[in-house]
Amino acid sequence: MLFNSLHFLVFFPVVLGLYFGLPARWRAPLLLVVSYYFYLGWRPIYGLLLAGTTLLDYFSGVRMSRLTTPAQRRPWLYLSLASNVSTLFIFKYFSFFCDTASELATALHFPFAVPLLALALPVGVSFYTFQSVAYIVDVYTGRLRAEQHLGRFALFVAFWPQLVAGPIERGGQMLPQFREPHAFDYGRVASGLRLMAWGMFKKVVIADRLAQMVNPIFDHPHQYNALALALAVAGFTGQIYADFSGYTDIARGAARVLGYQLVLNFRQPYFATSVGDFWRRWHLSLSAWFRDYVYIPLGGSRRGRAHTQLNVFIVFLLSGLWHGASWTFVVWGALHGTYLVAESLTQPVRAALAQRLGLAARPRLLHALGVAATLVLVAYAWIFFRANSLPDAFYISTHLFQGWGQLTSREALTTIGRFFQAYPPEVAVTLAALGLLLIVDLRNEFSTLAARWQRPSTLMRWAGYGTLLLAILLFGVFNSTQFIYFQF
Amino acid sequence: MRKLFIQLLLLLGSVGLVAGLVLAPALQRPYLDAFYARFTSPPAGSLVLGTSRSAQAVLPAELQSKLGAHYAGPWLNYAFTLFESPYGPAYLASIRRKLAPTTRHGLFIVAVDPWALSLEWPKEPGQPVVFPEDKSLIGQMQIVSQNPNLEYLAHHLNYPLYQLALHDTTTLERLHPDGWLEIVLPPPTTDTVSLRQRTAEKLATYRPLAAASYLSAARLHNLRQLISFLKLHGQVVVVRLPTGPALAALEKQYQPQFDQLMQRMATSLGAPYLNYIEANYPTNDGNHLWRGAARTFSQRLASDIARLSPD
Repeated sequence: MLFNSLHFLVFFPVVLGLYFGLPARWRAPLLLVVSYYFYLGWRPIYGLLLAGTTLLDYFSGVRMSRLTTPAQRRPWLYLSLASNVSTLFIFKYFSFFCDTASELATALHFPFAVPLLALALPVGVSFYTFQSVAYIVDVYTGRLRAEQHLGRFALFVAFWPQLVAGPIERGGQMLPQFREPHAFDYGRVASGLRLMAWGMFKKVVIADRLAQMVNPIFDHPHQYNALALALAVAGFTGQIYADFSGYTDIARGAARVLGYQLVLNFRQPYFATSVGDFWRRWHLSLSAWFRDYVYIPLGGSRRGRAHTQLNVFIVFLLSGLWHGASWTFVVWGALHGTYLVAESLTQPVRAALAQRLGLAARPRLLHALGVAATLVLVAYAWIFFRANSLPDAFYISTHLFQGWGQLTSREALTTIGRFFQAYPPEVAVTLAALGLLLIVDLRNEFSTLAARWQRPSTLMRWAGYGTLLLAILLFGVFNSTQFIYFQF
Repeated sequence: MRKLFIQLLLLLGSVGLVAGLVLAPALQRPYLDAFYARFTSPPAGSLVLGTSRSAQAVLPAELQSKLGAHYAGPWLNYAFTLFESPYGPAYLASIRRKLAPTTRHGLFIVAVDPWALSLEWPKEPGQPVVFPEDKSLIGQMQIVSQNPNLEYLAHHLNYPLYQLALHDTTTLERLHPDGWLEIVLPPPTTDTVSLRQRTAEKLATYRPLAAASYLSAARLHNLRQLISFLKLHGQVVVVRLPTGPALAALEKQYQPQFDQLMQRMATSLGAPYLNYIEANYPTNDGNHLWRGAARTFSQRLASDIARLSPD
């Protein structure tokens, strides 16, 4: 079930009514049932996969909790890890690796028959397997006590607001919340609903509108000039942020309405002053997961500078692969890994240069330059994330800089007009929506602005909520299929 | 809880009221887009089926004026596009939903051409058959007879609702309440340059399609199922619609035995097969009949069907 569907519009109020209408002890079982209902809407058979993963991880956790030494617990850890990793491999990566092996074999004139496994990717599999892996590792290391209640553990894995695209929660954060009763609280419910409405605005008014503009260009990049390619890259930079952060807001808002606190996943990422800073603001739950379960076990920064850089690069390569079984994602990850390594290696040079140019004495300008440079680097990397194939990505990333000298003002205007679907009101709607997003992010980013922000009167606030809902209804684009991160 | 409930009710009510006031005039207009009216009309008794060629070539009003006394109404052109409505499980399911279940004496025009029965070759040999239209409008729409159709407005309208209020009256497409899609172009004889250009573009689309496609046994099986199903509800007429000469030649080259195959299938299922592929009618683009020609053709089709069933 999609958050931006009519189905969800019925589902959510019904769940809410039942949830707060039932005695507290029945609420968690209700949530488990509706979570599976929510998930089975995609492809019922994959509900079995979710249930199987849940059962195996639950029993592994329970078994480990009864064993005293790491050596005794280790087989259960390995069993659970093998099950999660193989699930991910079979459903997500098998075809990718087979295709790659086949292409390699063909290039080497080596006969190799590719085994065919036409499996649809279960929605959210990357998210819930990562969540389960985190749980099982935490239980193994003793950071977390194993959950003994099967229903509660199943709800932890399948909790519907964050099941299909995160945030990737930790057992230590969520399991205690499932043990608490959650009474109706006006302020909390209202705040959750506000967050959901804002997330929906970002998704249907901004992200899906931008998608209509950038998709034709990414689908046929060879037919477009450098300006159109640049507009598409800029548009996708906005789209993916509005899409994923919009999804996260709806997920966090829905959980908050029910009384649960999900972790923050975004902190105004496009205000980052470096790529390292960007990753401390973008998809925080995934970054934290890779830090805790890959980077630190690899040695983190404990084995010298070269090893640290290597670990960073490996983490981003894997992060790229996590996003999708395609070379475009691998290159995207590698590009970010390279950015981070380069950022670390050039740090002294950049500091000296800033000193020499007098920028060190002008911190605001330096900050603004950092934000601009980071945004350009991140946007450039998004080309590889969005392109349909590696050749397309290379075409866009190179032709983006060509032909600007020959571009006439008439051509430029035509290109911009076509980008906005040759419909002038779309320009106004798009820019107004992006402007609103920028204002909200500015307010969240700069505490001084937030401090100056005066809480409007009740009437104004409700008028604002009404306007937001009306904007979603009238300006929203509802014919797109799903959130970008659902495919991962 | 009650306080919030009342507040939300008031808020949503106000938003609904304002949106309703803005959109109501637009939703009452006959032409919303190329598909919407087909999903707001009541379940139909007689249907015109096929792809865009059929959507533009057959006027249910013309059929009804000549044959209305013999067949059940309401009459509806329920043909969409090659992408949306080739013959397959999704279209069959959608037709089942659209057909009034108590119909016994309906007339069903099943327009066929090689494209509507083809699939693209799979990228890898041995891959299972996938019908691309399963993910399209026809595959997704569950409610096909509701006015206003919220499912369509919420998920399948190709533009935001505010654009309805700023409706462009010079629109090129006009979907009539009976489902006929009229493309508002002047007669092809008045602008031969544009016609040549559109025809060239159309051929440029279909040539690679012919190279990448094959006549699908799965689609043929679905067509058989469809005809068998429709025969339970009335008379089925399988029709090969007229098109431009260049596209007709390409179809002949792509599937030389197509007419014989259709003739055999129709005969085996007890349905007449009317073949107009050689008939000469002006088109908009080398594929779809010009609106004036569509009217003339529909009258001819009605006469031919009347001759088939003199009772």
